[in-house]
Amino acid sequence: MSRSYDRALTVFSPDGHLFQVEYALEAVRKGTCAVGVRGKDVVVLGVEKKSVLQLQDPRTVRKVAMLDDHICLAFAGLTADGRVLIDKARIECQSHRLTVEDPVTVEYITRHIAGIQQRYTQSGGVRPFGISTLIVGFDPHDTKPHLYMTEPSGIYSAWKANAIGRSSKTVREFLEKNHKDDLSREESIKLAVKSLLEVVQTGAKNIEISVMESYGKITNLDLSQIEAIVSEIEKEKEAEAERKRSRLAATAAGQASMTSRAAAGTQ
Amino acid sequence: MSIMEYNGGSVIAMVGKDCVAIASDLRLGNQALGISSNFQKIFPVTDRIYLGLPGLATDVTTLRERFRFRVNMYTIKEGREIEPETFAHLVSSTLYERRFGPYFIEPVMAGLAKSATGGFKPFIAATDLIGCLNFAKDFVVAGTASSKLYGVAEGLWEPDLEPEQLFETISQTMLNAVDRDAYSGWGVIVHVIEKDKVTTRTLKGRMD
Amino acid sequence: METSFAITGKDYVIVASDTTAARSIVKMKEDEDKIKAVSPHLLMAYSGEPGDTIQFSEYIERNLRLFHIRNNYSLTPSAAASWIRRSLAQSLRSRKPYSVNLMLGGYDTTSDTPHLFWIDYLGTLAEVPFGAHGYGSYFALSLLDRYHNPEASLEEGLEILKRCIDEVAKRLVVTPGKYKVKVVDKDGSREIEL
Repeated sequence: MSRSYDRALTVFSPDGHLFQVEYALEAVRKGTCAVGVRGKDVVVLGVEKKSVLQLQDPRTVRKVAMLDDHICLAFAGLTADGRVLIDKARIECQSHRLTVEDPVTVEYITRHIAGIQQRYTQSGGVRPFGISTLIVGFDPHDTKPHLYMTEPSGIYSAWKANAIGRSSKTVREFLEKNHKDDLSREESIKLAVKSLLEVVQTGAKNIEISVMESYGKITNLDLSQIEAIVSEIEKEKEAEAERKRSRLAATAAGQASMTSRAAAGTQ
Repeated sequence: MSIMEYNGGSVIAMVGKDCVAIASDLRLGNQALGISSNFQKIFPVTDRIYLGLPGLATDVTTLRERFRFRVNMYTIKEGREIEPETFAHLVSSTLYERRFGPYFIEPVMAGLAKSATGGFKPFIAATDLIGCLNFAKDFVVAGTASSKLYGVAEGLWEPDLEPEQLFETISQTMLNAVDRDAYSGWGVIVHVIEKDKVTTRTLKGRMD
Repeated sequence: METSFAITGKDYVIVASDTTAARSIVKMKEDEDKIKAVSPHLLMAYSGEPGDTIQFSEYIERNLRLFHIRNNYSLTPSAAASWIRRSLAQSLRSRKPYSVNLMLGGYDTTSDTPHLFWIDYLGTLAEVPFGAHGYGSYFALSLLDRYHNPEASLEEGLEILKRCIDEVAKRLVVTPGKYKVKVVDKDGSREIEL
């Protein structure tokens, strides 16, 4: 009865799969895209915003959440699951401060979140969280930015730049091609926007950018700022295309003149 | 030292003609030391029911919150306001729930009950700290000045007092009783409940 | 002996507490800060069982912060006071109650009003124009009855506070040596040197 392997979550299929966990990943792939880019001393989160309905208040749909003064989280997948996980993480942040005075490190809270996600793949009567997360932030008394990703299975990993959610593969490949070490603030933001534009057709109004520059310093870019960056990127693309076209034209002209000279020679 | 006398405070309720009155002092103390001269012990439950909670001050607040919660739930579930008799039993059962670790409060309530003919009937009741109900026809008292209140009320109260006379009676009873009690006083608040209005007055009295 | 005062004025609350940490008859420390800024516009002076005070005040601080992160706004002073009272009242009927007395002074930025709450370990809550805990309260409260002015400027408020401290120094057998004074107003909280 192959049916029963994906009924009970905690049961392996004969070839070693946990189907429910894989279905959770499928829910992540259906969620809106989120990217994270780590620069020299800055880390940027960019998310694709679903276009809200005409009468909906866009401020109530947020995919980037603050976990503590120095840590932000973006997720892709089931929004309702995200809310629950975020709440658990926020409680842990305060609880950690209460018990050991210090704020959490980025790695610690990532491990905690991944731990919760793992627990939901091995306990009875529950289903896994249908979300992947990108966690960014700065450790206390440190200037190095961090970027982590967690998955429904409970895997977590550190990255220079990464994407989750819809078309994340395309975006990740783009990031692999274009990411350089020690990006500046502007370069990091631009790379985040540029990579998101690979999958967001509608442009600036469906992009949300959060920038964390140092411990506790978080800024959310407003629409006009994002629009400026998008138009800058478009101008560059335009110029690039123009250059290509003129180069093409030049070669064509060169070839034409060559053929005409050749023709003249035979005369 | 008794827990019931730790913070001080007294409440009295009286029946009049088509009206009821409830009054309390405004003192909050730490034994003999006065902390606040504006500590409310009487709370509106509905437009026609008032509840007085003399006793340990922490339980005054806790019970006010609990009763507000339970009455709100009742109103939503039943789709109508709670009647005084029902509320009295709700108070009783809430206190008896804590039979072996009680709230140190002896509630006093006053209200007007809807009668079958559509009119209103005066209602007063009091319970002890574990919820034993006492429905009285004349007056009920509780708190650190209760024994004094009994004495004065016994002398001043008479049946079928009009609202204004009832106000005068309950005010004089309260003022004179708390003057003989070190743990009550610092001002008095009086509510007179009639079928279409509630009159609330604050009295100064001896502020020492 | 442990003493704390708090006074409201026109648009501020002053909270003062002595700075001694004692174990039975022995003074362990003379510069203990017993006033915590539990949120940007809320000061809490605590006294009572040494371990409980720190534990409880930090618990409050973290929960108020959590509330802010979850909801993107802070509790008003009266809402915070109600919640703190409830925590103490629940603790009172638990196996091991916190024995902590509080003076909670805050500035409500939504209505631009100062608020002061007197809270004891039983969970008794009273909003007061001025208040005190500890042995100092027996001297300070009667003094404040006479001299407190709800419309006083900060300078006048501090003058009144000084009178309280001097009176306690004069009449109390075991007088606290130093006091820490903090004030909360529309700009948040800060420490003041007397």
